[in-house]
Amino acid sequence: MNDPVPAAALADHAFLRGMPPDEVAWLARAAVAVSLPAGRRLFDEGAPAEKCWLLTSGQVALDLHMPGQANLIVETLGPGDVLGFSWLSPPHQWQFGAEAVEPTDAFELDGATVKALSDSHPELGYQLVLRFLATAVERLQATRIRLLDLYAAPSRDAGAR
Amino acid sequence: MSSLQAVPARYRIVSRAAETSDTVTLGLEPVDEPIAPHQPGQFAMLYAFGSGEVPISISGEPGRPGLVYTIRSVGAVTRALCEAGPGQMIGVRGPYGTDWGVTDAAGQDLIVVAGGIGLAPLRPALLAALAARERYRRVTVLIGTRTPGDLVFAGELDTWREQGADVRVTVDRATAGWRGHVGVVTQLIDRVDVDPVATLALVCGPEVMMRLAARALSARGVAPGRIRISLERNMRCGIAECGHCQLGPLLLCRDGPVISYQRAVPLLSVKEL
Repeated sequence: MNDPVPAAALADHAFLRGMPPDEVAWLARAAVAVSLPAGRRLFDEGAPAEKCWLLTSGQVALDLHMPGQANLIVETLGPGDVLGFSWLSPPHQWQFGAEAVEPTDAFELDGATVKALSDSHPELGYQLVLRFLATAVERLQATRIRLLDLYAAPSRDAGAR
Repeated sequence: MSSLQAVPARYRIVSRAAETSDTVTLGLEPVDEPIAPHQPGQFAMLYAFGSGEVPISISGEPGRPGLVYTIRSVGAVTRALCEAGPGQMIGVRGPYGTDWGVTDAAGQDLIVVAGGIGLAPLRPALLAALAARERYRRVTVLIGTRTPGDLVFAGELDTWREQGADVRVTVDRATAGWRGHVGVVTQLIDRVDVDPVATLALVCGPEVMMRLAARALSARGVAPGRIRISLERNMRCGIAECGHCQLGPLLLCRDGPVISYQRAVPLLSVKEL
């Protein structure tokens, strides 16, 4: 049995910082606190996406299954991060897998409940969309930076390292 | 000996350790009179006889006998240096340029942000801080690298942790067996505690990475004047005579390589410089 989450604890999470208290109180109805041991898989690529997690401690690896090899870690997420976007939009399937790489605590949000709450309280839906969009932009920018391959060797002897 | 030494002193390589597939750390002992003592962040001109001269930041601890350089093979001269082994002789001029000024963080938090080989110029500053650990509050080391195999000084990280540093590593691309952080180094900045009014941040790596890291530190409230970066240009003479390393009003061999981000911002945004 997972514990319900007090609205005050939810409001302290970086992802929800600044959200009006009334909306946080509504969202708390969809949240439970979970503790995940190291090695626990949260979801696998292709499975139905029905939840998301607001991480409060530990670390989770987003991974991609590689046939005949160990899973390839795409990105890691930690305290203050939100895990799980695929529940938001069709086809509502996980695009990657996720596994706790160390003991991890999180607030788990049930996607169907969040959607229903957002339908009946549009301000909550608006506040959530703003935050998911900001997070998506941050991750897009981080991905672009990784694509630059910044640490590749310069082509000639020039500087002081 | 003058800090504006213009003639190389001969040094003998006494140790060579491979850091990664293209990077080595060389230990040197003087054959002639040694160059002047260096400060963390300064560089010297290393002369591979028969190949040429390159500017390389000193990666060894200040105040220790001998010199230590960590060199990545990226061209003819650095390749010759990386291939040199114990017993071989090289020339050294220096030390040149500005230093990190790590003691300015005394009584405050110190954040070191390194990208790739950029950890080498920061290592002397970190070692100096850890040698006087009680003078500093939190010492945080954030390292970004391409893959786990590209991490330099990998064997020292646990020692730095034991000496009281919070050391975190992230890689752009994980390889099999890597269980650490995957993502850009700026994401690590978002995850550490930052006291905006009592922090000195030292940043070294590719120029784009330094700009992004400085921006992330600024977003956490650290004033641009409290962020220092190490810039590199085409240093040749080391004594502010030839002008090859000019960046706007600065000659980086004299006015750099370490400058405040506040001073660097207007220069780094001009394409023609």
